[in-house]
Amino acid sequence: MDETVRAVSSCSRVAAMSVEIRRNFGTVRVPAGLNGLLPALILIVLFFVVPVLVLLLRSVTEPEPGLQNYAALLGDGTYARVFFNTFLVAALVTIVTVLVAFPVAWMLAIVPSGLASIVFGIIILSMWTNLLTRTYAWMVLLQRTGVINRTLMATGVIDQPLPLINNLTGVTIGMVYIMLPFMILPLVGTLRAIDPMTLRAASLCGASPFQAFRRILLPLSLPGVAAGGLMVFVMSLGYFVTPALLGGTSNMMLAEMIAQMVQSLLNWGLGSAAAFILLVVTMALYALQLRLAGARRMSGGI
Amino acid sequence: MKLIITGILAGLLATTAAKAEDMVFTSWGGTTQEAQTKSWAEPFTAASGIKVMQDGPTDYGKLKAMVDSGSVNWDVVDVEMDFAIKAAKDGLLEPIDFTSVPKADLDPRFTTDHAVGSFYYSFVLAWNKGAVSGEPAGWADMFDLKKFPGKRTFYKWSAPGVIEIALLADGVPADKLYPLDLDRAFKKLDTIKSDIIWWGGGAESQQLIASGEAAFGQLWNGRVFALEKDGADVGVSWNQNLTAADVLVVPKGAKNKDTAMKFLAAASSPAGQAKFAEASGYAPINTKAKAEMPADAVKSLPDAHVDGQINLDMNYWAANRDTIAARWYAWQAK
Repeated sequence: MDETVRAVSSCSRVAAMSVEIRRNFGTVRVPAGLNGLLPALILIVLFFVVPVLVLLLRSVTEPEPGLQNYAALLGDGTYARVFFNTFLVAALVTIVTVLVAFPVAWMLAIVPSGLASIVFGIIILSMWTNLLTRTYAWMVLLQRTGVINRTLMATGVIDQPLPLINNLTGVTIGMVYIMLPFMILPLVGTLRAIDPMTLRAASLCGASPFQAFRRILLPLSLPGVAAGGLMVFVMSLGYFVTPALLGGTSNMMLAEMIAQMVQSLLNWGLGSAAAFILLVVTMALYALQLRLAGARRMSGGI
Repeated sequence: MKLIITGILAGLLATTAAKAEDMVFTSWGGTTQEAQTKSWAEPFTAASGIKVMQDGPTDYGKLKAMVDSGSVNWDVVDVEMDFAIKAAKDGLLEPIDFTSVPKADLDPRFTTDHAVGSFYYSFVLAWNKGAVSGEPAGWADMFDLKKFPGKRTFYKWSAPGVIEIALLADGVPADKLYPLDLDRAFKKLDTIKSDIIWWGGGAESQQLIASGEAAFGQLWNGRVFALEKDGADVGVSWNQNLTAADVLVVPKGAKNKDTAMKFLAAASSPAGQAKFAEASGYAPINTKAKAEMPADAVKSLPDAHVDGQINLDMNYWAANRDTIAARWYAWQAK
């Protein structure tokens, strides 16, 4: 009898703790004085706000004043396909990145710190290597005459080379690889902050490992997943090099189209309009995410 | 205000800022720019003491940003000729000072009021001998999936070349190419679209052919020349080779305009052109250059294949660049 009571009370403590942890993640600290922020604010205005305004201005003034650039973008099947494709790729990359990053981050959070710092080093090191070089390396691996296809064909697993490049598969593989550190790093932070006792308590309460994962670990790590996921999604939306090299022309993403308009067609009005639409959509998504996260905190539910 | 802002942006964009007496030369990188550095910039520096800094790759958007903001950090830029004609019309280029740049021996096909030829080249049909059985004889074979199966590679960007190749393969006579029948060209290209791998730059085209990733393709002759020099097992057909040119231009408001003109004179001189042609396999635009080249180097130039050679119409392209590009990219994205 006594034991049951103790177990129940420990379970409720765990629940309380998890709510508390979640609250802590939500706190935003606002410094008392704004004076110290002034240089940072000036920097932000100069390098972020002003260029965006210039962009907006260009999109409605070039080649002549009016909304024709937006009309052209929204009324054309080709551009619509590029927009759709951009979000498809970004969503796919985000999902796959989360699936791959979670186990890695969990491992990093629980292994001894010496080993963890070595693995961290490897992950960070890959970020220091030039992006173009890394993408070219994937080209060598993935192409029809590449290492992967050759090995598979030599071992008799396949007899026709798999189409791994110049398509959605190639873009996804290349981009997930590049995005992984941006997902793993925030996730490790979140996972490390979770008291391992909560999991022990969960199993004490009779939860299976899967239940413990789904009801304790996953909800507690959601802030990290959300932060990393949003970062990956937004970065993917504007990605250029990897889709250009590993994708086919029918997988063109918005950034590539904008580069084309700006660099080779010199149609800056249209390019600005496309860039502005991308910006607005990204901001809207960000606002939505903040709202959802906020609502979740308010209700205390998952 | 807008001017100041774009000025700041262009300033951030520009990676190179030259000292007053030095100048900046911008080209496309790779083996081509290396040859330009060795053949033009280094002798020019040795003779004049003026340092030539290399920048690149050429970016038309950057060029326009520099001119618009009045902060031009490039003095001489290697650009495609159809772009040069259009850019001159848009007021982005300085007129060439032909009192400092001797004009008499320059090939008139590649000389305009605002541009001096850099080199000229041919699009040729190249293939990996290990990946192709038999010898493709001409552009029509690139569209024959039965006789020549496998991936083929074409130039990715909207530029003179691929449209013409499709039309020639479809049986349009060389002298009836212009004005281009775009509908017909895209219909022809549709027949092989899923077997096309696009190359965006010269190095990529070399890698595709050398590895056999693409069995054959439309390449710049200089890139095939470099592959052959490296000992790659490639075949080449000059049948209906298509000439186009790169030209050297001076952006409007370039800081070292006078130095730039001197550089143009050196680059387009018989000696400069001969040296570059020998190193790159591209053809000289100075008619006296070939006399200064070794005989076997002359043999690999597009000049040795004038039989059936077709000059891509740069003026037509300059006038229709935007319309064709819009259709090109829409078709590609489909």
